Order: sequence, then structure tokens, then C-alpha cells
Amino acid sequence: MAVGQVDILVGLPTLNNAATVVNVAKAIHVCFTRDLPRPRTVMINSDAGSTDGTPELIRDASFLQGDMVQTSHSLRTMHRVVTPYHGIPGKNTALQALFAAAELTQAKTLVVIDPAGPATSAERVTELIMPVWRSEVEFLAPRYRRHPRDGAIITQLVRPLVRGVYGVEIDEPLGAEFACAGRFASNCLEQDIWNQDAATFAMDLWLRTEAIAKHFTIGQIWRPATAAAAPTTLRQAVRQVLLSLFTTLRAHESFWRTATNTATVPTWGVDDRNKVQPAGDWDFVALGLQARHDINEIRQLLEGVLAPPVFSRLMDDIAASEPRLDDELWVRIVYDFLDASNRGSAGVDHLADMFVPLYMWRAARFMSFTAHEPDDVAQTRLNALCDAFQRLKPALVKGWTVEV
Amino acid sequence: MIQQIADALVQSWQNFATAFALFVPRLIAAAIIFVVGFVVALILRRLIHRLLASFQFERVTHRTGATEMLRNAGMPAAELLIAKIVFWIVWIGFIVSAVDTLQFAPFQGLVQEFFRFVPRFLVALLVFTLGFLIGNFVWRATLLAAVNAGIPGARVISGAVRLLVIAIGVVMALEQLGLATAVVLTAFAITFGAPMLGAAIAFGLGGKDAARQLLERQFKENRERESDAAPHL
Repeated sequence: MAVGQVDILVGLPTLNNAATVVNVAKAIHVCFTRDLPRPRTVMINSDAGSTDGTPELIRDASFLQGDMVQTSHSLRTMHRVVTPYHGIPGKNTALQALFAAAELTQAKTLVVIDPAGPATSAERVTELIMPVWRSEVEFLAPRYRRHPRDGAIITQLVRPLVRGVYGVEIDEPLGAEFACAGRFASNCLEQDIWNQDAATFAMDLWLRTEAIAKHFTIGQIWRPATAAAAPTTLRQAVRQVLLSLFTTLRAHESFWRTATNTATVPTWGVDDRNKVQPAGDWDFVALGLQARHDINEIRQLLEGVLAPPVFSRLMDDIAASEPRLDDELWVRIVYDFLDASNRGSAGVDHLADMFVPLYMWRAARFMSFTAHEPDDVAQTRLNALCDAFQRLKPALVKGWTVEV
Repeated sequence: MIQQIADALVQSWQNFATAFALFVPRLIAAAIIFVVGFVVALILRRLIHRLLASFQFERVTHRTGATEMLRNAGMPAAELLIAKIVFWIVWIGFIVSAVDTLQFAPFQGLVQEFFRFVPRFLVALLVFTLGFLIGNFVWRATLLAAVNAGIPGARVISGAVRLLVIAIGVVMALEQLGLATAVVLTAFAITFGAPMLGAAIAFGLGGKDAARQLLERQFKENRERESDAAPHL
């Protein structure tokens, strides 16, 4: 289908999203017809080979008048393109196809919607488009009002690390949705990331850090938190997150090594504090016991990765009966792993495997320690962790610089 | 009679003197070869040590786990060990040459034998090193996979795997050297074959029910411990 030039391109990367995709597609359609009647718009569904009929559902979805409550007809032609992409299935391939489409159509604004995410109403799609469309920002990331004990991978690892190392107070470095300017999409297409091994799962993090490292104007937008579907097991998720961090830190080494300031990021939308979802329920006591066992099993390997004082403190902590929350130890462990990945003292896959029990230990410690604390105290602890990552950053920079 | 004895003594002395006159230059030559060989080997040792250090060989050995293994075995660092091996090979080569220069009948052909042995020794060394490196890699991978899969006794399993791989390397290296090949192979087959066969029979017959229970429990535990990533994300 010849689409020609467009102003706004909404990408919908899908893989077996039959349950939610029709509502999302309808929301996008209503957004185009009701809120954006003048710009030239297109929705592109980039499907990774769904077997549940997702592309057919989008193609055949009948957008009845009933779906367009209080809408006017669009003043321009509106396109809906469904395309299976070729190559190895993965988010990187889908995003590359969408970015290439944005460049070909000279789209000013590209929005990528999570087919299983919160954009099931037109308002949610529109609010994601507008700040970029109005040229107020070049990259817009979602921000969720989280319970301080929710999303431990984010709050204990990714958020404080990105804040501390990149010096930008971005809340959700892993969100699936985003909006960006066409210029940012073109920049990303030129980068040597798309075919890297970790790119299949590192793209969400890489996009945000790329925007930071290349000095694009960044913003955040409040989005309603949704109950995330479990894409994988905890161990696989931690492993993938760490590999993503290795990949992005290597990609932006020249930026973060010299970054010294901490920049705040403007936030759009409404922060609905009353709609904070309760923290996910998981057995942190059992997780802690498992982590302790696993760490003891691999202690010989950890000794080769961690600095001797860090290893010694870790072993003391593992042996301690009372839970302690030693932020500095945790930060040093993370930095030692990043350093080890850079030095090549072990393969990154093995490092990621070694890191899994350490994360489990830290997450269980945090949950156990804050179990009976008020939410605001737990939040204060999260902020203190971000500060610790930032304060100890010179250790990472030093280790990264020194050649073995 | 006395004259004959005197002639015999003179003859003997002359023979000794002639032989000694012939031997002394060979002895001096052998001594020179010995000393020069030592100096050459020493220079090579230092050169190789520095070369490996400049190429950050320690990084490779550290990554493969060889550094730790050598440290545990009370051995020097890998680059020093290689330099020492080169030192001894070169110096022994010179020593063999020196002995050959002396032309002692029992040592005839020693040089040829030595130079036939050296390539075999180097190949054996390479085989052993590869076995060691592969053993360590497999150990690390097995340990991490077993721990993350929640398999009990991960350290024992991975240690056994490492031992097996290194043992195979050692046997192959010894076979390359031609040292008691039959004995080594038989010992290897008995050492590993018997326990494996015994374990297989015990597992298959004697511990059939216990094995089933163990596996069922293991899978159940795995399902329970494989917590969903959603609350963490």
C-alpha cells in the first residue's frame, strides 16, 4: 500500500496479542478521527508471526460509528497497514521496521503502542502523541505511579543505575510504549545496535539511554499502571535486564563516563496518586532462602568477579541472620559486574547467570526490610539507593577506564 | 717379560692420552653448549614472559579460570609457567646436544630421539591445555545452569563434569606422548566406566522408585520456585 508522506505514524508491534489488540486498534482509530483530524496519520501493525490471528483481527476490525463516540470524520485519508516483518522475530526487528517506515514516510511523530498496554482508550493514545507532535519534546517515555515495593527489578536496579550513571532522572527505563520525533527515529536507524545479540530484549532501555546520550529533549508522561503479563520467568527477566545494561553502557560509554550533572525530566499528564496499584505479592522469604543457597553454590565464581572486600562483605551478609539493607554493598556489586563485563573477565552470559541470585538476594532483603514500614519510608529508601548509585559512580568510571 | 709389561703400559698410556686428547675438546664443546644453552633458554624465558605480559595473557587465563586453578595447585601464573616450560625444553635440547657431543655410545642418537619427542610433547601439552580450558568452561556453564535450574548438588555435578573433561584431556595427552598407553586407557576405562555403569544400573533398577520421586519432587519444586517476573517488573 502506498502511504506517501504522513505526519503521525503509530506503530503497533504485535506477537500473539489477539486478546487486546482490537481494542487498542480501535482506540488508535478513534484518536485519529476525533482528536487528530487534520494531520496525515497512519497506523502500522508490525507483526512478529502471531499464530493467534492477531494481524487478521486488526485487518478485519470494523471501526463502526459506535466506536467513534462524538467524533468528526477525519479530513484526510487514514491508513491502516498490517505487515509481517522478515528476519528474526524480536522487538528490535519490529522497531527497526517502524523506524524505517517513519523515515520513509517522513513522519514528524512516531508513537509505539504496547498492544497489551494501557492505550485501550483514544485519550491514552492522544496524550502520548501530543507533546511530541507539538514539538515540546523529542522523546517521551511513560511513567507509572508505582507502589514503592512494586517492580523490584526497576526500583532496585534499572532506575537507580540509569539515574546514577547517565545523570537523568528518568523513572521507567524499560517501558514498552514511547513517542519520539522523526529525527530521533532517523538517528536510531543509523546506530549499530539492531543486529546485536542482546538487541532482541535491550531495545526499550537502549532507546531511552540513546535519547539521553544524544542530547534529545526528553519527557515523561504519567500512564496508568497495568497488571503486566508475565513475559518470562524471574531468572530470565533479571538475566535479560543485565545483558541490556551491559549493551547500553557499552554503546554510550563516551557519554556517561563524563556525565556529572543530574537532570530532571519534565512530566506530562496527570499523576493520579489515588490509583496506585498494590505491590505484587510474592514470597520474598522463600526467594531470600533460595538466593542464599544459590550464592553459596557459586561463591567460587563470584570470588573471581567481585572485588575482595565486596565479596567478603557479601559473604558476611549472606551469613547474617537479621536482614540488613546495605545500599553501598549492592551498588558495589552491580558496578563490579559491569566492570567485569567490560574487562571480559567472564562471558557476559555467565556474568548474567551469576547475577541472578544476587538480585534475588537484594530484592528479598529490601522486601523483608521494608515489610512493616510505611510506604513513604520505603520510597525514601528507594531515593537513597538512587543517591548511592550516583555517589559511587566514580568507582565504576575508574574501573571502566583501567585496563587490566 | 718386563719389557712387554712396560710396552703394554706405554701403549695403554698412549691410548689413554690419545683418547683424553680427543675427549677434552668434546668436553669443552659440551660445556660451552651447556652454558650457551642455559643463557639462550634464560633469554627466551624472559622474552616470552614479557611478550605474554604485554599481550595481557593474564586476562585470557583469568577469564578461562586457569589462573585460579593454577593458584589452587600452587603453580606460578600462566605466563610464567609457559616461559618456564619453554626454558626447560630449550635447555634440555642443548643438554642433549652437549651429551651427544661427548659421543658416549649409550647416548648415541639421543638428539634425534629428543627432536622426535619434542613435537609430540608440544602436541600433548596443547591437548592437555585445551582439555583444561574446556573443562573449566564446562564446569562454569554447568554450575550456573544447574544453580539457575534449581538442581540439587550443582557444585558436585559441575565438579564431576570438570574432572571428567580434564581427565579425558590428560589421557589423550599421555596417549600422544606414548607413555604406558594401554595402562592409561585401561585405568581410565575402569575408573569412569565402572562407576557410570554401576550408577546406571543402580538408578535404573535399584533406585527406580526413588529416582521417580526425586524427579517428581524436583519438577514440582522448579515449578514453585520459578516465580513469575511480573511483580518484579
